[in-house]
Amino acid sequence: MKQNGYAKGWMLFSPWIITFLVFWFFPLVYSLVISLTDYRLLDPSVDWIGFANYSKLFSDADFISSLKNSFIFVIGTIPFTTAIALALALLLNEKFKGRTFFRAAYFMPSITSMVVIALIFSNLYARGGYLHLLADMIGLAPPANGFLLSENSALASIMAMDIWMASGYYMLLFLGGLQTIPTELYEAATISGASKWHQFRYITLPMLKPVTLFIIVINSIKSFQVFIEIFVMTKGGPLNSTFTGVYFVYENGLRKFDFGYASAAAYVLFAIIAIASVIQFKFLKTEWKA
Amino acid sequence: MRQFGKYTLLAIIFVIMVFPLLWMFYLSLTSVQSQFTIQNFIYIFSSNNFGLYLFNSLFVGITVTVGNILFCFMCGYALARRKVPGSKFWLYTVLIVLMVPVHIVIIPIYILMNKLGLYDSYWALILPWLVNPIGIFLIKQYISTLPESLEEAARIDGAGEMKILFRIVMPLCKPALAILAIQVFMTNWNSFLFPFILTSSETYRTLPVALALLLGYQSIDWHQLMAGSVVAVLPILVLFLIFQRQIISDITAGAFKQ
Repeated sequence: MKQNGYAKGWMLFSPWIITFLVFWFFPLVYSLVISLTDYRLLDPSVDWIGFANYSKLFSDADFISSLKNSFIFVIGTIPFTTAIALALALLLNEKFKGRTFFRAAYFMPSITSMVVIALIFSNLYARGGYLHLLADMIGLAPPANGFLLSENSALASIMAMDIWMASGYYMLLFLGGLQTIPTELYEAATISGASKWHQFRYITLPMLKPVTLFIIVINSIKSFQVFIEIFVMTKGGPLNSTFTGVYFVYENGLRKFDFGYASAAAYVLFAIIAIASVIQFKFLKTEWKA
Repeated sequence: MRQFGKYTLLAIIFVIMVFPLLWMFYLSLTSVQSQFTIQNFIYIFSSNNFGLYLFNSLFVGITVTVGNILFCFMCGYALARRKVPGSKFWLYTVLIVLMVPVHIVIIPIYILMNKLGLYDSYWALILPWLVNPIGIFLIKQYISTLPESLEEAARIDGAGEMKILFRIVMPLCKPALAILAIQVFMTNWNSFLFPFILTSSETYRTLPVALALLLGYQSIDWHQLMAGSVVAVLPILVLFLIFQRQIISDITAGAFKQ
């Protein structure tokens, strides 16, 4: 049957070929091309300007600070999300009554719309909101106008929300990883008298290496692209304190319609994400070998 | 005693994880004076256009889901049972779609939709998402595990290729197609960035976009806003509660493959 199937295979597969070419391949190439031009909406003359957009970016204080905020966001969330997800997974890995219930409950924030989560937390973080009152009650002296209107706490508040939201999802990935560890390893370790801590340190952690690596890389890529929660909760403010890389792209590309400049910024972010992913792979691989 | 400690810990985490969602339900069902009321829901449907937004979300979500069932099935079948030129390369497109930040493609897609005259239409919300490579490979894997004998028997009986494809293989793929449908619908239902950027008029506004734009107004009525949020969350929550075992085991199993 395979000999007469060549043309048909092509035809059956064409939906993805067309979708890929039109909505992924073309846009990727096109944005690289326009990043080398001064293309703006409502500006009839489009000129090649080489790498001028790119050099302009690195002297643009807004772009530099947006990069800084993106890095703070990634570095400030990933260790917590990963550690909490792992702790939750360990807690819910043993068999006990209600295990499925708790797994489902902890995972629930992850299936909820980001817009809705951002709205709920906007309410909780606002002046007089529940979290604001709570912080006040335990003597934390929260910012008077609510967490999102102070440049000292806005970004950290959004980060805390993201950690809360994502932990359940990565918990499930860790649970998947835990299930791949053969129970014989633990049995052997128990017989030879290894403590729980030693079992965790020398069996669980090394065996979870591939999942952990995957989680860190995927989560970094996602977190570096943080946008929706910023858009809903702070619009980049106050005083640019939550103005992140992707928000910069949105602001310049789709509000100021400076397509060339925004595309250059998008490619810089893409390059950073790609390089960071490669480094994470390399670094974590050698780290764990030791 | 140890059990007790464990359940206490689990319960504390439970409260932290579920409280914000409960808070949303609470606000949506109360008035400013903290009295129970369903007035907020009546208001958003009568004085605000939530009926339309709900319809748009459902229409786009269902269309995209049906599209994915059909097209991911066709593409997955082609990869499993037919020769597709460059089949190795198409595997890498999964990675491209996973790794490429959407903000790179969003400006070109915005320009493209404008040039095609599809900006601010249902097409703009549907066309880019009718098929996805992760779904294709899910179906391909599934079909690879099915015996070919049924298809061959049908072929000997003189059944046409279309009939074999849709009457014989497709029903066998029901479990995989169900997973695909749930995942696609949930992702699409919650999606914000593309619907936000590719539409401008209220006619094509989906629930997440409507909610995000509502917050922008000066006086916020949290109770109405949370009623809108409940409308946007409830279908997904119901789907999740029905299929939670399936959804959770799929995600945990996904980690195996890495």
